[in-house]
Amino acid sequence: MSTGKILRISQVGLRGVVGRGLSASHVMDFASAFGTFLEPGRPVVVGRDPRASGCMIREGVVGALMACGHDVVDLGVVSSPVIQHAIVRMDGAGGISISASHNAAEWNALRFFGPRGVYLSSAESSELLDIYHLKKFRYQNWDQLGSLREDASALDAYLDDLARVYELDKLRRFKVVVDCCNGTSSLILRRMNERFGFQLILINEKLGSATFAHEPNTSSATVALQLAPLVKPLGADAGFLFDADSDRIAFATEEGVPVSEEVVLPLLADYLLPKAAGKLVITNLSSTMLLEEIAARHSGKVIRVPVGRQAAIDALSGYRPEQIALAGEGTGAVMMPQFRFVYDGIASMLAILSMMEERRQTLSRILASYPPYSILKGELPISSSRIPALMMDLRNRYASGTVDSTDGLRVSWPDHWFHVRVSQTEPIIRVIVEQRGDAPVELFESLMDQVRSLR
Amino acid sequence: MAREHLLKIGVSGVRGVVGDFLTPGLALSFAQAFGTYVGRGRVVVGRDTRTSGPMLQHAVASGLLAAGCEVINVGVMPTPTIQLYIAHTGAKGGICLTASHNPPEYNALKLFNKDGFFFNQYERTELIDLYHQSSFDEAMNHEIREVRKQGATAQKIHAQRVLSFVDVDLIRSKKFRVALDSVNGAGSVMSPEFLTAQLGCELHAIAIDPTKVFPRIAEPRPDTLGDLSELVRSTGAAIGFAQDPDGDRLAVVDERGEVLDNDDVLGLVVKHVLPRFPGDVVVNLTTSSVMEDLAAANGRKVFRTAVGEANVVDMMLAVKSAIGGEGSNGGVIFPGVHYCRDSYTGMAFLLELMAQTGKSVTELVAQLPRYYRKLGRVTFEHGRLGTLMQALEEQFPGVVADRTDGLKLIWPDAWIHVRASNTEPLLRLAAEAKSAQRMEDLYAQVTQLLT
Repeated sequence: MSTGKILRISQVGLRGVVGRGLSASHVMDFASAFGTFLEPGRPVVVGRDPRASGCMIREGVVGALMACGHDVVDLGVVSSPVIQHAIVRMDGAGGISISASHNAAEWNALRFFGPRGVYLSSAESSELLDIYHLKKFRYQNWDQLGSLREDASALDAYLDDLARVYELDKLRRFKVVVDCCNGTSSLILRRMNERFGFQLILINEKLGSATFAHEPNTSSATVALQLAPLVKPLGADAGFLFDADSDRIAFATEEGVPVSEEVVLPLLADYLLPKAAGKLVITNLSSTMLLEEIAARHSGKVIRVPVGRQAAIDALSGYRPEQIALAGEGTGAVMMPQFRFVYDGIASMLAILSMMEERRQTLSRILASYPPYSILKGELPISSSRIPALMMDLRNRYASGTVDSTDGLRVSWPDHWFHVRVSQTEPIIRVIVEQRGDAPVELFESLMDQVRSLR
Repeated sequence: MAREHLLKIGVSGVRGVVGDFLTPGLALSFAQAFGTYVGRGRVVVGRDTRTSGPMLQHAVASGLLAAGCEVINVGVMPTPTIQLYIAHTGAKGGICLTASHNPPEYNALKLFNKDGFFFNQYERTELIDLYHQSSFDEAMNHEIREVRKQGATAQKIHAQRVLSFVDVDLIRSKKFRVALDSVNGAGSVMSPEFLTAQLGCELHAIAIDPTKVFPRIAEPRPDTLGDLSELVRSTGAAIGFAQDPDGDRLAVVDERGEVLDNDDVLGLVVKHVLPRFPGDVVVNLTTSSVMEDLAAANGRKVFRTAVGEANVVDMMLAVKSAIGGEGSNGGVIFPGVHYCRDSYTGMAFLLELMAQTGKSVTELVAQLPRYYRKLGRVTFEHGRLGTLMQALEEQFPGVVADRTDGLKLIWPDAWIHVRASNTEPLLRLAAEAKSAQRMEDLYAQVTQLLT
């Protein structure tokens, strides 16, 4: 059944196409649920990406939070990591980022942060969802309502902290081209040029309210569109691409070669694990096996959890922060303990530049030391009643490998693996196959055929 | 026991107690219905000084933006000023967040069309239908507009319009000593400048801090204006003005510190205006018969309407009247300024009247035809309204009856008017007669019948 409307309400929040599924009332109710969920007494921090619908959503969010008695600090158009940073700095009760991140311009979403600027845990998210569904909100009386304060200082405070972690005076020598995808990264990067003398050449830097130059998703295909062809002619050391709310990146080498988004996490693992011997890398079941190989070089250990932000957030809470070297996804979203442990594209870029600086090596040179991996991804529609039979069938057929069934079925061998899982958001099954060396075409086609035959 | 009306969604818009009743979600949906009705374009949004104003304003802005409208945020501003500004800027309409004279825990959405007039009954009905159908216009990302802060000139536009109808130099030359109580409402941001810089008065003001809560009961009535009366007496002011939180209603205190009957305030203004402007008089059924006497003296007629500013304005538009108003509600509506209840028009005309005649307020009131009036209220049970009205009519056979709004029974020397309140479960009573005894007898008789 399709109504032509797109709205997704789940534990990770509210997401949809504005005016075609995602309405002002949904926003009002979800923000009211969050206002009811949060402890009173401390401010709630709000920010948005440049989408035009962000203004509409912001008004509803501010109204809802004030009605629930919370004082609101509005940071305006800022990245999600800046919001998360401000929550900690202001000792806030939590925050809301109004951003559909890597989705197209007509989308928008609400993302919720708790007191330390981190995403809500599963338990917290499900409580929020329950309040949303019950629609019993804790609206305050006329003399107990919250106030609104606008704060334009959040970006500089964030950069102050970045400057404490990264040696910006050494990194500013790099010539870097950045595709901002008309998102919030342009504000941060422009300010870095001004304040710290960086030589960042920005394209698609105009904040996009109605449209973006292209979808702001961090994939090597998007890097290839406009960014990669510019890197070599400009004589740049690297090209970086950000999504709309600047929490993830993709990149191209100084040769102008787009690099798979899967490589961001292994690259940063290669940089950080030598400084954190024996520590953990947390990722999901669908990201590249290159990570295990890199981790092995530095006696690190890879922990794989189900796909999705919520699983990653829950996994993180199972370890002490000092046990973890870094965590991330194959989408270019990485969090590092050096900078507050939230997905942060700016910090990821600075870490990669730091790696180039410390090793005195180009990106091509660093990547040349990594063995080639080939990954194939596909998706097929399926009716949910067939899923158990399919999974059992595949499990029996590929019994020679190491089986992990925490999220669909992942079977791995020393030089290749596949992951077959059901999407959380659409009635489709995803098939991912990776192999060291050449593309695993045969296995991929065989898996796709088996899914087709059983659907 | 009648239900308390903590929330009312009806012909007068949305009004209720903020919190569990008037929620931001309700305000948002109603605003989105409004935006759907008026269409994509500019919508002016302003408010009085209630603590719930900012919260509701954000919710309203969200609903309007979602419907594809552009929001012009004029902030804290008197309702009449906002109405003028809507018409002046060619907006599609406007929403004012104010519960007018209601207590601070209340708030409401007042709705205006592109002319800056209250929605008439047809517009209101259609809007309510839209709201109930919940099929709103939903703009997509590329169609969504912004909130723009504007309105710095709105107060100037309003003041200039009012002043263009009075002899400013004459008023300024008198240097009247004036007392003011703006109840810390929207009038606080405009009245001091209006009375001093524009009209040259020596001002003694209380309650002109828009950041503070209402220091008195919001409705300007004799029993709520003790502080202003005291201020008039202690400063020797020639006149005292009291506004309600959104600056549309005006109450007046004379030089002795006595609060004037609101019908007399309207009477003074009508008497002052009629010789100078052509047209008839439009008032509601509850307004004093003084109006008929004043109109007759000028060879004009009086048209009477159901209670409610929108009803009076509709009739004023239809008959192109010189002036109108609602006596008991303290409202002067002068079309030259705008078809809205406006305390500033009232202030300016009264000061001009004083300046031209050289008479005190007490002397001016003494010249008005003398009637005795009494207003009151009784609660009633739902379902009993029809029976009560019928009994009332049967009690006085052969009397002229007007059923436009409740029941008004009219004798040659007296009348009574009984109507159900739009906003509360009670009957409002008004009685007027040429003699005090007749009025008291009639009032007692009717009260007994209704209780």
